[in-house]
Amino acid sequence: MVALRGKELKLNEEELEDCDVGDVDDEEFESESESEPEEVAVTEPTKNAVYNREALLEKLDDIAWPQNVEWIHKLTVDHAVEQEVDVNDDLARELAFYTQALDGTRQAFEKLQSMGIPFLRPPDYYAEMVKSDGHMLKVKGKLLVEKKKIEEAEERKKAREAKKLAKEVQAQKTKERAKRKKEDIESVKKWRKQRQQSGFARGKDEELDLSPDEEKSYEKSKKRRTGVAPGDRSGGFRRKGGNEKGTKKREFREAKFGHGGRKGMKKQNTAESTNHFKSFHKDKFSASKRQKK
Amino acid sequence: MGKKRKHAEASEAPKEEVAEERPKRTLLGWKDGVPEKQNSSPVFRNREKVLVTCSRRITYRFRHLMLNVVSLLPHCKKDSKVESKESKGATLNELIELRNCSSCLFFECRKQKDLYLWMVKCPGGPSVKFLVNAVHTMEELKLTGNHLKGSRPILTFSLNFDKEPRWKLIKEIIVQIFGTPKGHRKVKPFHDHVFIFSIVDGHIWFRNYQISVPHNETDKVDRGGLDKMTLVEVGPRFCLNPIKIFGSSFGGPTFYENPFYISPNQIRALEKKKKAGKYSKKVKAKTRRKMHELANPLEPDEFADLWKD
Repeated sequence: MVALRGKELKLNEEELEDCDVGDVDDEEFESESESEPEEVAVTEPTKNAVYNREALLEKLDDIAWPQNVEWIHKLTVDHAVEQEVDVNDDLARELAFYTQALDGTRQAFEKLQSMGIPFLRPPDYYAEMVKSDGHMLKVKGKLLVEKKKIEEAEERKKAREAKKLAKEVQAQKTKERAKRKKEDIESVKKWRKQRQQSGFARGKDEELDLSPDEEKSYEKSKKRRTGVAPGDRSGGFRRKGGNEKGTKKREFREAKFGHGGRKGMKKQNTAESTNHFKSFHKDKFSASKRQKK
Repeated sequence: MGKKRKHAEASEAPKEEVAEERPKRTLLGWKDGVPEKQNSSPVFRNREKVLVTCSRRITYRFRHLMLNVVSLLPHCKKDSKVESKESKGATLNELIELRNCSSCLFFECRKQKDLYLWMVKCPGGPSVKFLVNAVHTMEELKLTGNHLKGSRPILTFSLNFDKEPRWKLIKEIIVQIFGTPKGHRKVKPFHDHVFIFSIVDGHIWFRNYQISVPHNETDKVDRGGLDKMTLVEVGPRFCLNPIKIFGSSFGGPTFYENPFYISPNQIRALEKKKKAGKYSKKVKAKTRRKMHELANPLEPDEFADLWKD
């Protein structure tokens, strides 16, 4: 016991010495940083830093495995980095790491393959994994949620574009319609002029010529009215004019509270309600009568 | 179980002819110096055991990182927390001896903010102290990979590990600590993950990827499978900034000291100083202005009482 304690004390002393050294160094650091402006300290190396190469190499020799250890014990692969990566560029850095891992794995797998030992996990080999099944379920759930989010965003984008396109098409249509109307009116005017000039002669022929035009205009007006409710007095323009948000709200409220239709039917008696005596309180009436008296 | 033992005997049999040459091993390590060179010709057996522990008052994030490392190293022994005092080196050395380990990973948390990692080779080996940055644990949901617990990792190093003695030494220590010994009893005989250690900007970055390769047989990848190989990150992630390399375990002479290292305490102090400077600057500016006004007073305005009547 005593011996053990003695040893501990010795170790403590060693440690303390070491700590002293460390503390002194720290003080040096601080004094330097005080005298210097803030950022320069980060980039400028301290002058009196220890770097004992010989001792390091000696130590390396001490602890190193023998030179001719088979590769299978080490499983190490070296990868030459092509160019310096910027540390602050997360994507580039991670990509560099990924390529290093991929390259290293390829080399290692080639070596393993050439050795001819089994090294790949068979599909029916079940064993404990690093991450639990519960955790992997969570991961899966998160991935699904992310996928869904992306899909929804895409859908929204598509809808927006479709709306834009529809607007354009609509504008084109109205333009065309206006143009046609103008043309029609002009043609009628022309025809009138011609008739006036010709002194209302050969009326019948002209009318026959015109008849398909008239029919067309009739058709057009009918077309415009498709989808208009029979009770709608605005001729289908109300829906067009009102902003969508307002109508939506209105529709919702109507669905909730009721709008249109006959209200009176609810209050009228039916055969069932007349024969229903449960809600009829005879006493109530008589009592009230008595009170009145 | 019986089968396994038989196997071991079978492999032991040829060794017995050279058994006398093999050096004796004590609790503290090898009895005489560097025995590996002597027995390198017949067999090399990696008997690495790593003690993994942390200091008291470690924060949950760093503790999870430690647990992740424990789950990645089947040849490690986890121990209870150690008080992070000045004498921690002695206690830790004793602990390593007690647990019969040959190296140690000690996660030291200070001020509930900074994590230091000690990588130590135990009997008399060097020890390296790192500052740990950019910690991501395995529990993070964006790290979607998974692999067998206890399969041996492939270690890939960037080539700049071989350029300088300090990196060489650190590489050797990493190989010994993070490489799982072949034939360890907890090890599974397949390779489905890869560790990478890369030096960028003077820091060592660590990543762990799962390997997914199309294959039908256990000893061969499908034709063209190596090109189709993909990696999925498993985690954890961290970045090590070497601070010092010491000669013996948890102490001893300093062999290397990072000249670019500034402790996080100093960084915080500088930031504080900057903030403190802001107020004092304001006060100074105010007094200066006052002095200036006193020194050159305004000329009397000749139109001051023009509209008074």
